[in-house]
Amino acid sequence: MLYDIFIGPFVQMVEMPDFFLQVLWEGFVAGILYALIALGFVLIFKASGVFNFAQGIMVVFAGLTLVGFYESGVPALLALLLTIGVMGALAYGIERFVMRPLVNQPDIILLMATIGLTYFLIGLGEFVFGGEPKRMIAEELGLPTGSTAIEMGERGLVILQHIDIAAAVIAILMVTALGIFFNKTRIGRALRAVADDHQAALSVGISLNQIWAIVWFAAGLVALATGIMWGARSDVSFALEIVAFKALPVLILGGFTSIPGAIIGGLIIGFGEKIGEIYWGGLVGGGIESWLAYIIALIFLLFRPQGLFGERIIERV
Amino acid sequence: MFYREAGQFKTSYEADQALFPIRQDRIGLAVILLIAFVGIPLTANDFVLTSIMIPFLVFSLSAIGLNILTGFAGQLSLGTGAFMGVGAYAAYKLTSLFPDVNVIVMVLCSGFFSAAIGAVFGLPSLRIKGLYLAVTTLAAQFFLEWCFIRIPWLYNYNASGAIEIPSRDMFGILVTGPEATPLTRYFIVLAITSVIALLMANVLRGRIGRSWMMIRDMDIAAELMGIRPLQTKLLAFAVSSFICGVAGAMMVFFWLSAAEPSSYSIKLSFQILFMVILGGLGSLSGAFMGAAFIWILPVVLKFVPGMLGFDIEAATVEHLTFMIVGALIIFFLIVEPHGFARLWQIGKQKLRVWPFPY
Amino acid sequence: MNAIVSNLAQPVGQPKTAERDLLLRVDNVSLSFGGVKAITNISFDIQKGEIRAIIGPNGAGKTSMLNVINGFYHPQEGTITWRGEVRRKMKPYEAASQGIARTFQNVALFKGMTTLDNIMSGRSLKMHRNFLWQMAWFGPARQEEIEHRRKVEDIIDFLEIQAIRKTPVGKLPYGLQKRVELGRALAMEPELLLLDEPMAGMNLEEKEDMSRFIVDVNQEFGTTIALIEHDMGVVMDLSDRVVVLDYGKKIADGPPEEVQASQAVIDAYLGVSH
Repeated sequence: MLYDIFIGPFVQMVEMPDFFLQVLWEGFVAGILYALIALGFVLIFKASGVFNFAQGIMVVFAGLTLVGFYESGVPALLALLLTIGVMGALAYGIERFVMRPLVNQPDIILLMATIGLTYFLIGLGEFVFGGEPKRMIAEELGLPTGSTAIEMGERGLVILQHIDIAAAVIAILMVTALGIFFNKTRIGRALRAVADDHQAALSVGISLNQIWAIVWFAAGLVALATGIMWGARSDVSFALEIVAFKALPVLILGGFTSIPGAIIGGLIIGFGEKIGEIYWGGLVGGGIESWLAYIIALIFLLFRPQGLFGERIIERV
Repeated sequence: MFYREAGQFKTSYEADQALFPIRQDRIGLAVILLIAFVGIPLTANDFVLTSIMIPFLVFSLSAIGLNILTGFAGQLSLGTGAFMGVGAYAAYKLTSLFPDVNVIVMVLCSGFFSAAIGAVFGLPSLRIKGLYLAVTTLAAQFFLEWCFIRIPWLYNYNASGAIEIPSRDMFGILVTGPEATPLTRYFIVLAITSVIALLMANVLRGRIGRSWMMIRDMDIAAELMGIRPLQTKLLAFAVSSFICGVAGAMMVFFWLSAAEPSSYSIKLSFQILFMVILGGLGSLSGAFMGAAFIWILPVVLKFVPGMLGFDIEAATVEHLTFMIVGALIIFFLIVEPHGFARLWQIGKQKLRVWPFPY
Repeated sequence: MNAIVSNLAQPVGQPKTAERDLLLRVDNVSLSFGGVKAITNISFDIQKGEIRAIIGPNGAGKTSMLNVINGFYHPQEGTITWRGEVRRKMKPYEAASQGIARTFQNVALFKGMTTLDNIMSGRSLKMHRNFLWQMAWFGPARQEEIEHRRKVEDIIDFLEIQAIRKTPVGKLPYGLQKRVELGRALAMEPELLLLDEPMAGMNLEEKEDMSRFIVDVNQEFGTTIALIEHDMGVVMDLSDRVVVLDYGKKIADGPPEEVQASQAVIDAYLGVSH
């Protein structure tokens, strides 16, 4: 028993390095997708202090809209543009009808409002597009398909899906773009000002409403990218909603306001989950992926309650 | 004018500290209890009892449980569903291990199991607060759900993976299982819910209730005034999980008669959280109002189109229900973020001065 | 400057107090957060029954000092002697159970509760009925509740806040909130009461009321008081002895007149380059 826990898995890793690398790659890809979802959360949390519960459903909604446009006969790229338009309209609607009337309410109320929004979007998505899973139009959008097998001498081979590589590249590009946007542009600066203190930001002439609409739109775009990537790997379906909860442990690890934190947190969770499931999951009957992420986050929290990148909290009275 | 306590002088602290110090409230409560114990059993048909009243009471009780933790002690929990599941599975195991013991005793005992598990998952609350704590409870939710699936012992190695409640009687009357009459089950659920609600009302107005609220409102000040944070929080976790566990056991014993792990999924956790927040954090009566809103509204919505003569597909109705509930949640949060309980208070204030605006 | 400190540390003309009159003594306490030194090597004492003021410019470490006294911060160096016994590292609730109560610079009331409940919460340590009794309510739990309610009503009378008994404290004006907070601390029947800027942000009238309450508490209940305050007039009138901090160091200690005359104190308040 002890051997199975402490030694066996490592022996396995060394003996079958190709398999181990494949697991690592799977973990990396899952991590990138978690990171993308977490990124959407971070954007909105940074700018408004709202933990946007609806991010997961926004991913599904964006994916469904894209597929829905395509299925109704719109060319793929035009469908993409239209979907971006829809996400913009959604962002404006959320700012106008949810965020603006609830400004200055306690966090829990805003969290609750985004849960209400989740319900609304689930209903709307199912009402318009139906509840059954849909195939993502990855090929039509010009995303690569197929796979490359990398030979590892006599040790076997590792298979990389092209779509996964594309996902990783797009994620890195998006993070870089967002980083530049936050740090170098006027709007980015205004955004950070709003994040720090709403009233102070208002007093120097920053429009909260405008900033929030922009942020929700940015989160919508991130959601769309996530939806395409995720949809290309499996299907576009409401099952993704549960996966979105994984963003919470990711955020805990990386900190709620750190964009690089979201990426690193996502990768830790992705690697940890896959390796744990493959090498240790069998000991307890498998399926531990459903909760392992939370336990990993919990263990981190007990040692660093402020997250990996948070500052040490000094409580004051 | 209708709700004026003028002339009701309290001459002792006893009277001032009563649960309902105002006469009108006492009359109101008496009327509600009368309706619940006499009116509904006399008039309601089986459908109303099994599809509306029993689930409403079960959810009210679990909302009270979550409200103690989140509304009174200020610890956000997303694991209510799992704690209810612990109660259900514990009660199920207890009844199959000790078939001769009264089933209601078993349902109540199952609360101790969920209380213990709730306390274990409450341990990190000493160091972790707010959304961070939500991760702990999410871990509890997914881990326990996994246990319900992966540990066959819990469901007596049933091929279906579900727990099915055996028929048990009490004083010769069938109380559980599909054959028990809805009325019997309704009375049991009603009795348990009201008694627990009353006991909790007592706890909440005394020292322990105050210590929970102290932790909620300002944990540092509470600690500097001699409140031990860990004990206080763990007690809140245990009491809350106890109540949720009993509610979860009642859910399968007196309402569903059979349950799968998915009955106690994260969706249930959110449903209860909705009830608590919409009803009003930190209000016992709010728990009932929230449960009524979240449970009864969709049921009503389901039947309104049919009654109006529209012929809409069931799936469409469900989607529309989702949209309407979501929109209403946002609407009520904008109108009154403190929930129905606060709306009710404002309404009472208005009644007091009616017909004048102030 | 050192000469002045040592002079003031043992005030001339005052008899050296006997050890048994000492309620609390702080010896060579230092506290730092990471690299930031909040308190450096401070020693002073608080005698039974006196009003002891701690003053100093902003950021001098006054609040940190109170936090050390009631166990919220743990100093890296130095000892605290409470009633003649050296105190071990303890949690805030243990300090509270030994009889140290306090109010806060930024009002730290329990916002969701009424005035009455806030003051009742000060009685928490003195109430013992367990969960089962509380569930039953009738009988011992109610008896206990009423007993303590009487004591709380006395405090409410004393502070003249009968009219706001059932008002949620969040709705009260600032001055009244401070008063409720004092009431909450008094409900603990403390031996040592720490007041962190009890008069901050008050108008003259409210200050007068608050000063009266502080003096009354000290004289009628015999409670020892340590207070931080920026209003020099109030400090000089109320306090028996004053300790002055600046940049985490003690620069003067003694009766008000003496401290007022000290060059180090004048420098600290008017600003001299360090």
